Amino acid sequence: MQIRDLPYDDPGVPDVRSGFRLLLWLGRMQMGGQCKALGWGVLHLASIASFPAVAGLAVTAVVDRSGGDLALAALAMAVVTLTVTTGDTLLHRAAVTNWITAAARIQQLLARRTAALGATLTRRVAAGEVVAVSTGDIERIGWCVEAVSRFSAALLTTLGVCVALVVYQPQLGLLTCAGMLALALAVLPLLPSATRRADTQRERAGRATELAADTVAGLRVLRGIGGEELFLTRYRRASQQVRHAAVRTARMWSFIEALQVALPGLLLVAVVWYGTRLALDGRIAVGELVMVYGAISFLLVPLQLFGEFAMSYSFSRPSAARAARVLGLRRPGEEQQVTALPARPDARERAAPVGSTDVREGLHDPATGLRAPAGLLTAVVCGDPDAAGHLAERLGGHPASAAAPGAAAGTENAPQSAAGEGAGRAQGRRREGEDVSVLLDGTPLDAMPLARARAAVLVQDKDPVLLSGTLAGLLDVPSSGAVDAGRALKAAQCDDVLAALVQGSPDAEGDPMRARITERGRSLSGGQRQRLALARSLLTDPPVLVLDEPTSAVDSHTEARIARELAALRSGRTTVVFTSSPLLLDSADRVVFVHGSRAAAAGTHRELLGCEDAYRAVVTRAPQSTAGRPAESRAGNAQTEGAEST
Amino acid sequence: MSPQSHPATDDRTAGEERRGPRFGVPEPGYDPSAPEDVTVLPAGSSATVRTYVRELLRRHRRAFVLLVGVNSGAVLASTVGPWLLGGIVDGLAAGREDLQLGRATVLFALALLVQTVFTQQVRVRGAMLGEEMLADLREDFLVRAVRLPPGVLERAGTGDLLSRITTDIDRLGDAMRKAVPQLAIGLVWAALLVGALCVTAPPLALTVLLALPVLLAGCRWYFRRAPHAYRAEAAGYAAVAAALAETVDAGRTVETHRLGSRRVALSERRVAEWTAWERRTLWLRTVLFPAVSLSNMLIMGGVLLLGGVFVLQGWIGVGRLTTGALLAQMLIEPVGLILRWYDELQVAQVSLARLVGVREIEAEDGRGPAPRGKDVRASGVRFGYLAGVDVLHGVTLDVAPGSRVALVGPSGAGKSTLGRLLAGIYGPRHGEVTLGGAALSELPAEEVRRHVVLVNQEHHVFVGTLRDNLLLARQDADDAGLWAALGAVDARGWAEALPDGLDSAVGSGGLTVTPAQAQQIALARLVLADPHTLVLDEATSLLDPRAARHLERSLAQVLEGRTVVAIAHRLHTAHDADVIAVVEEGHISELGSHDALVATDGPYAALWRSWHG
Repeated sequence: MQIRDLPYDDPGVPDVRSGFRLLLWLGRMQMGGQCKALGWGVLHLASIASFPAVAGLAVTAVVDRSGGDLALAALAMAVVTLTVTTGDTLLHRAAVTNWITAAARIQQLLARRTAALGATLTRRVAAGEVVAVSTGDIERIGWCVEAVSRFSAALLTTLGVCVALVVYQPQLGLLTCAGMLALALAVLPLLPSATRRADTQRERAGRATELAADTVAGLRVLRGIGGEELFLTRYRRASQQVRHAAVRTARMWSFIEALQVALPGLLLVAVVWYGTRLALDGRIAVGELVMVYGAISFLLVPLQLFGEFAMSYSFSRPSAARAARVLGLRRPGEEQQVTALPARPDARERAAPVGSTDVREGLHDPATGLRAPAGLLTAVVCGDPDAAGHLAERLGGHPASAAAPGAAAGTENAPQSAAGEGAGRAQGRRREGEDVSVLLDGTPLDAMPLARARAAVLVQDKDPVLLSGTLAGLLDVPSSGAVDAGRALKAAQCDDVLAALVQGSPDAEGDPMRARITERGRSLSGGQRQRLALARSLLTDPPVLVLDEPTSAVDSHTEARIARELAALRSGRTTVVFTSSPLLLDSADRVVFVHGSRAAAAGTHRELLGCEDAYRAVVTRAPQSTAGRPAESRAGNAQTEGAEST
Repeated sequence: MSPQSHPATDDRTAGEERRGPRFGVPEPGYDPSAPEDVTVLPAGSSATVRTYVRELLRRHRRAFVLLVGVNSGAVLASTVGPWLLGGIVDGLAAGREDLQLGRATVLFALALLVQTVFTQQVRVRGAMLGEEMLADLREDFLVRAVRLPPGVLERAGTGDLLSRITTDIDRLGDAMRKAVPQLAIGLVWAALLVGALCVTAPPLALTVLLALPVLLAGCRWYFRRAPHAYRAEAAGYAAVAAALAETVDAGRTVETHRLGSRRVALSERRVAEWTAWERRTLWLRTVLFPAVSLSNMLIMGGVLLLGGVFVLQGWIGVGRLTTGALLAQMLIEPVGLILRWYDELQVAQVSLARLVGVREIEAEDGRGPAPRGKDVRASGVRFGYLAGVDVLHGVTLDVAPGSRVALVGPSGAGKSTLGRLLAGIYGPRHGEVTLGGAALSELPAEEVRRHVVLVNQEHHVFVGTLRDNLLLARQDADDAGLWAALGAVDARGWAEALPDGLDSAVGSGGLTVTPAQAQQIALARLVLADPHTLVLDEATSLLDPRAARHLERSLAQVLEGRTVVAIAHRLHTAHDADVIAVVEEGHISELGSHDALVATDGPYAALWRSWHG
């Protein structure tokens, strides 16, 4: 695999049973690259190792006063230079290629997994883990993948040098071998403590960054109301803690480094002493003494590689474990084998297949009795604010909050207890009978394949996210093709949004479709974001569109216009709007009032205003009304719904 | 290996890369490090950066000198071994029997001890220096950031600042922590070794001159291209992670709009863009590495062979040759160190400029006369964000102390802008906004906020304790005061139920606070800060319509007894106001009480009817 061929057409199916197995799998997938790196590594280190031999040759030649031998040494020197250079460069190329292909492979796997998990990932624990893998863990895994070939090359070469020394000069060779073994092992006991300190340092640094980012994110609040000094003091404290932790880590490393100087140094001293005595006895030549000295200095290089590998492995193990966990996340009900998603947008997506048959029946939720007849604009008012979002999500089928992926993958005891609590609450809120699926034209949505259900019913939640990129990119969504961008933007009253976007992107040259939207549309106001999101949903033109509070941040003037346009654009299509705004309610064909967990009344806005006290209280928010208390439902002339359900 | 890549020949024109060399990897067309969003805050000019770096070095002069000192000690100690071996070789070659081997061994061991201790110290001192500089840098930045004028923040948003304090600090981390000390170490190290070589055998030092051109040519070629390529590579890698993070964050939206395969395709495009730059940097190193390797080998081979010839000629002894060869071998490491960290430092320069750039924004030092009174008045105000494009065209509005004024009107009409002018965040281009007779724009933010506070949609809960989150509004408040403020906004109940009361950790990573509770915290801060005038922007969309009813009472209690200018999206907020100002296209088109406006039967009346049914 060459870097130029990335990305992979198919990154493969990873072995996610454990972190170690994931590392093994990665290694297996790039066996060729690993072998190449190993080969070049051996050439590189062997060449370096032979340099002392050449130096010894030269010294011997000089001592023997032989010009011919010196020329021979020169030739050997030239060869060694060439092989060192070649080996060094090609080892680097091979090792970096391994690193990058491994990193790219995991990134691609993550992207596919994330896309498959979709809404089920919004739970914080899982979401944070995915991001952590992509930002930090991959680098460490890549490091280990890269280091392993250099480590094996070092191991092979060291063994070679030791064997050569033993054969060449048994006493000195044995002394060196024993010394090397001791050296390789001496550093190991210090590593765990060093890694631990590095972890503390990273954790504190993360904390300080978080504090700084948090302070900056809330800077407008601080500048508006005060407290700058308080937060500065707090940050200084955190920053100094990072400094102390970093120096502590450095102190640990400094001991390791000192050991790496002292131990080989001692070996050198011993070898020089012993070698000199041998030389004095005439058992070895002067050149050989220089050679042995050089060989031992060389052995420092593989020694460092051993240390590096041990470190990279201890760093990457937890990272690999997390990566395996994340890549092993499954959607509840998802087939255990990974279905490979096509990398390019599928043309078939554009034609929404469902809903073309018999659409007269529309959407029906047996659990609440809510009905949205086909082809009409139904507005839903909920007495209980919390229930509305939940109900809206149910209407789309396959609700994500029903079971979080973390539970399936066993991450409940992840550290972020806060998120866990939130999920617990969400589960607690599930009411009796909610496992009954919503029906679309009589067909249970939950039983439909996910892709088909999503194509049939689009639920725009209360907080839709604008993806960054150009406006054209934002509006490039699978759609029926019946509504063009201009019409959708006009219906959602986006004129001023377009103007603001153009103003903020000078390189768009006045073309709003080329203007850039920042992440989550942060450069836009809340109302502007809402209208763009609405335009995107309108453009999709799904058979059934469910909107949850689509205009809560829009001013009344604009909302009135949106209400009119929405009704016109969706005429003949099935639309459900969760709202409490009279302007939207007034333009709906039909309004359903959900109270408790039942559809309590239905009719037009004006009818319900006239006869439903509880409804009026929710909609007009009249302060004198007994809002929040269960008002008795007076059915009046509004029909009561959902009698046939349950 | 590319035999053609002789470093010096590749370097003619800048346009050469576009043609693409036959060997090697030209720069990819797409540059992820090119800024896509308009950077609203400036990056520091090179003069500002230089001044700052000088100041930073001055502050840490002592640590710097100390580092160089211990480093010199370590290097000098490390040359003792080769010296001693040279002596021994000399003796052996001369066939002397009395080598004083014991003395040499003891000396060697002593030198080793010194080297060990000093090496350990180098590492520690280097980290201390780097960490101190880094800490200074990040703290300096935050100090500057929290002094930025509110108008600048309002306009620039916090995104740019945020990326500076996270990404740029991160990038500088390695530079400060490692590059600066390591470069210092490497330079001292190499210089001392070359010096030692000169002392040992001056003719042998000539080989350094032999190798230097190769090294310099290679480096020149490399360093011209490397900083940009590494910047692009880093940005490309960050973009891979960012695309994924966005897919995760937008999981629900991705699923509902069936964007899964598009997101996968995007991620793969990012991977392709990033790896294209990895190829480029790898190619750059493919040229540099042989150049470095070659020059190292040239030095070592040169010393050995030239020295050999010299010895044969009888100009120097075998011992010196040995010492020289070993010293030459030792040169590899510092040279590698210098190269390794030099480009890190170059990349870091960009980040440094972005951090220091904040210093170039003038903190306002307005010291106008103190306000006498509580009435806010805008007279003939014109204002626009861009030169020549006014958003407000001559607005005059009196806000009497204690009154409630509602600003209503369509999006983009200028009501939010007017609100910000009334809160003193922006100064008018023409006309003036006064508080008790004093021009608001001439007062520092710290003074303005004692009188007027803008309440917008932002209800940030800071990471920290609940106490921290409240204390920021009034730092001398005691617990009783904090509880009273919480009580005033009906938040006492849930706050008391928290596991550690005021000491409970909230904000991201701590206890999750519901949006409604976050809003109550924001309101409690207002109670503590106690300004006499509040400007509420989108205050009703700040209140989630579903949770709104529980919060309206809290808000009402905060508003009690204060002057309020409310930018109203919801008409029922406007309904209760003393004065309603309808803002349309930068003008106030209608002004009066609700009843009066309904009676005039203008645009407001029409809207009210459709709202109220």
